[in-house]
Amino acid sequence: MADALSIGVNLEAFSQAINAIQALRSSVSRVFDCLKDGMRNKETLEGREKAFIAHFQDKTPLYSQLLQAYKWSNKLQYHAGLASGLLNQQSLKRSANQMGVSAKRRPKAQPTTLVLPPQYVDDVISRIDRMFPEMSIQLSRPNGTSAMLLVTLGKVLKVIVVMRSLFIDRTIVKGYSENVYTEDGKLDIWSKSNYQVFQKVTDHATTALLHYQLPQMPDVVVRSFMTWLRSYIKLFQAPCQRCGKFLQDGLPPTWRDFRTLEAFHDTCRQ
Amino acid sequence: MGVTCVSQMPVAEGKSVQQTVELLTRKLEMLGAEKQGTFCVDCETYHTAASTLGSQGQTGKLMYVMHNSEHPLSCFALFENGPCLIADTNFDVLMVKLKGFFQNAKASKIETRGTRYQYCDFLVKVGTVTMGPSARGISVEVEYGPCVVASDCWSLLLEFLQSFLGGHTPGAPAVFGNRHDTVYGPADTMVQYMELFNKIRKQQQVPVAGIR
Repeated sequence: MADALSIGVNLEAFSQAINAIQALRSSVSRVFDCLKDGMRNKETLEGREKAFIAHFQDKTPLYSQLLQAYKWSNKLQYHAGLASGLLNQQSLKRSANQMGVSAKRRPKAQPTTLVLPPQYVDDVISRIDRMFPEMSIQLSRPNGTSAMLLVTLGKVLKVIVVMRSLFIDRTIVKGYSENVYTEDGKLDIWSKSNYQVFQKVTDHATTALLHYQLPQMPDVVVRSFMTWLRSYIKLFQAPCQRCGKFLQDGLPPTWRDFRTLEAFHDTCRQ
Repeated sequence: MGVTCVSQMPVAEGKSVQQTVELLTRKLEMLGAEKQGTFCVDCETYHTAASTLGSQGQTGKLMYVMHNSEHPLSCFALFENGPCLIADTNFDVLMVKLKGFFQNAKASKIETRGTRYQYCDFLVKVGTVTMGPSARGISVEVEYGPCVVASDCWSLLLEFLQSFLGGHTPGAPAVFGNRHDTVYGPADTMVQYMELFNKIRKQQQVPVAGIR
């Protein structure tokens, strides 16, 4: 029986030892597992940290866009300053208004050329109509007091001229066979010609109405413009005075010199 | 419709009709023209029926009924030196009804088909003229849209024609001489085509390349 007791005591110690070893082994395997998985754990932790921070970061490119907009507006201001300096060299005002009159001093006489009786405008136009046999001018006032002229030049072209009292505001040049009326029967003052040659002549006519300027005598201006326009009766017959040919890039000489009324190609004029 | 000039391009030496057409179209494309679809002009001939001729033996008149893809809803009927009628496409049906008075010469149906090119304001149509299965020649039509008076822009048209036809530029069409200040119309173009077709019909058949 003493053996059993002593064995029992020994057995106790044994079982304790076994338990201890088991605990040791499991902790060691845990250590190895940790060592094995440890790296991954660290990564996921860092990744999670980054994700957390990014969640609160501002993703809008507001700053870079703001910077671009600032640079652009600075450049715009600089270029506008240069352009206004260049443009102010030539006065582009066509009416007789004086700029820069202070509010205190009212102009004594209103500029009369902007406010003309429609009857006077009609008279001037009908006189010009009778001046040239191959040019016929029809006047209508579909929109208020501003006159709209339909000028027919021989069998070559038709010009729609929009006026503002006796000043020419806009022109559109179309071919003789093209339709100048809208579906309603009103004069179509907006649509361009279908042909490139007449689109070019429209551009030249706009240049001309800006060139012929005399604020105090607008009827002389209209007369000069019509004289210039009349030179287009030979649009398809006149060769270029510079190169002698009829066609350049498929276009006849569309430019008419403002003083001599000679025909030039757009690319041949000085 | 702008002033139009229809002419014939002779087939180049030692080349077939097809090759000459290709040469022309390549020249046009080099000039800067853009292809814009196809076109077709055809012509049918009608004889006045023998039963309607009087006992004095009047010669029968030839009537040409033509169609132009540029005016798809129209039909043109013309006599050689006479008036040109512009009618609806139902005119063809009417001709069937008038079988007793006008007989169709089916063998002389002639047509030209090809591509349209646009260069600035010029519309150029190069077509192969065929009569039945055989190609008989090449037709070149140039229309200058902005101008409607023939006598005004002949020099301009000539300069353009020279730029891509070279030495084969035609003379002024007869219709240009007749109408001095009147507005050009589609009927004038059809008259030119009719004259071109008649000329080609009278010509010998183009020899097939290689056979001498």
